[in-house]
Amino acid sequence: MTETRLYDVTLRDGNHALRHTLSSKFVRSYCEKADQSGVWAVEVGHGNGLGASSFLVGKSVESDLSLLQAARESLKKTKLAVHSIPGFATIKRDLVPALEFGVDVFRVATHVTEADVSQKHIEYLSNNNVIVHGVLMMSHMIDLKGLVAQAKLMKDYGASAIILMDSAGFFIPREVAERVSAIKNTLEVEVGFHAHNNLGLGVGNAMSAIHEGASLVDGASMGLGAGAGNAQLENIVAASSREFSLKSDVYSFLQMSKLVEESYFDKLPRTTSSSTQSGLAGVFSGYAPQVSAISEELGLDTNTLWKEMANRKLVAGQESMIREIAQDLMNL
Amino acid sequence: MSVTKPIRIAIIGTGNIGTDLCYRMLRDSRFKVVALVGRRSDSPGLNIFKDEVDHLVSNGIEGLVPFLKDIDGAFDATSAFDHKNHWDILAKSQKWVMDLTPSKIGLPLVPVLMNKIPVMSLQNNISSNYSMVTCGGQSSAPILYAIASASSGIREVEVSSSIAALSAGPATRLNIDQYIESTEGLSALISGCDKVKTVLVLNPAEPPVMMRTTVNISVDFCDLEQAKVSALNVVAEVQRYVPGYEIVVEPHLQSLNTISATVKVTGAGYVLPEYAGNLDIINSAAVETAVLHSATYRSVSKK
Repeated sequence: MTETRLYDVTLRDGNHALRHTLSSKFVRSYCEKADQSGVWAVEVGHGNGLGASSFLVGKSVESDLSLLQAARESLKKTKLAVHSIPGFATIKRDLVPALEFGVDVFRVATHVTEADVSQKHIEYLSNNNVIVHGVLMMSHMIDLKGLVAQAKLMKDYGASAIILMDSAGFFIPREVAERVSAIKNTLEVEVGFHAHNNLGLGVGNAMSAIHEGASLVDGASMGLGAGAGNAQLENIVAASSREFSLKSDVYSFLQMSKLVEESYFDKLPRTTSSSTQSGLAGVFSGYAPQVSAISEELGLDTNTLWKEMANRKLVAGQESMIREIAQDLMNL
Repeated sequence: MSVTKPIRIAIIGTGNIGTDLCYRMLRDSRFKVVALVGRRSDSPGLNIFKDEVDHLVSNGIEGLVPFLKDIDGAFDATSAFDHKNHWDILAKSQKWVMDLTPSKIGLPLVPVLMNKIPVMSLQNNISSNYSMVTCGGQSSAPILYAIASASSGIREVEVSSSIAALSAGPATRLNIDQYIESTEGLSALISGCDKVKTVLVLNPAEPPVMMRTTVNISVDFCDLEQAKVSALNVVAEVQRYVPGYEIVVEPHLQSLNTISATVKVTGAGYVLPEYAGNLDIINSAAVETAVLHSATYRSVSKK
């Protein structure tokens, strides 16, 4: 644990749960607490990252730069981080202003099979004296050999860490361990893990990554994140305190989670029957609202729909496909 | 004298786009494929056409120079970076070029709009450079034009496309920012609005998905009925050169003051499978533009 850094995604993944209504006021009060906690970095922005505010995935109420400014002013010890997906963000429009703004850590993310799309963005950032991580989203949708090959691409472009995202909340602890160690044993690169809580295994999976020697582990206060939410950051710290001697103080993380709990009582994510089905099927759990609505409209079982979405290997950002798949199922 | 003398062309680039172009133009009597230009002698793209194309060039643009006298123009399916150099050489030799890279050097052209938007008129110059912009641009522009022409006070334009991961070649993947910037430039040109956004999602779903492009426009006012009629009309016109282009969601109010519509592009299936509608629409646009430009130039030069 002494080597594992905590990475706080509350103000980024949590923005999914808040439907991108995060305010600079909240960012400021959260970051003031986070800065005292010993958390390594706080990630801030739209749920889909820099430059993602759009009709397609949802408009942010406040701009990226306004949120980043609030965070920058409040973070002294803790690093300021952003998530960025090529295809939404560009170097010129999004990365350059964020660099000028003093962002410390950039995470460049692609679907787990599409790492080569990140080449120019990672190369550009790693030439600019900031910390760059490569993120593989939906990391269960590839075998171990393929995973290592995609991780190697990002490493070779210049990423100092590879972050495996369990975007669907599909993994069990043994699979997390296999993946973290497959990369650690093959490539000289740091490994991080980002859990979702669809099967109620968010914290357990994060612990599994820590045991396997992951250098970074992601969590969100109160699990505030897409779908069933992320691993609860305060619980990762609490559970770790049973095993390791920590520099971090559990109490300060509880202060952060209390702020989230009180501010967004009606928006806190939870594991539901639908999110369990999507987790088992390995489908991005952010689709839950559409799946419920369309299933009800067409009189279709949600589980059947989740399974067919999994068969078609749906990835994040394909909201328009759900109705089409549901209609195909009804014609069978 | 025959008025149907074929247009003599070279294709530069032997990736997905170049290969598909070569295949379709070898089967199109309006064209004569004089040369296919690759950069490696073991290029699989060159090997496919070894019995069908007179000159297979494996050392890049330098290798094409001896044959420039035999062509009217060229199709450049390489990269934005290489296109600059190619255009220098082609322009000196008075050749036109259809640019299939997102270089933004030439005149952006969407064939169906050339008689609708003054800035997209054909050029009366033999060595013209026409930019096919991007697949997202070719698929969104007709719909954007239709909705914009029925609207006033355009505040924001967004074009989001999803394409099958298998149909995105290395150049597209490496140059995703150029793709976005070129598509946004075209949206701004057509709508007159500076607030433009483009999103591209590479989709590895199986079976591979057909390309879909959604246009969202935020406006002060829109005559929705007129927008629908215009959209259906312009789609029918596009279908003359891209048969697989169809509207799947008609213009509708997506939210307050925001109009949305979606098109789907199914490829013609020449070399690449049907899911590669993104490659089909850009190649079809280039072929159509070459035919129209050649006709214009020939009529001008006769005068």
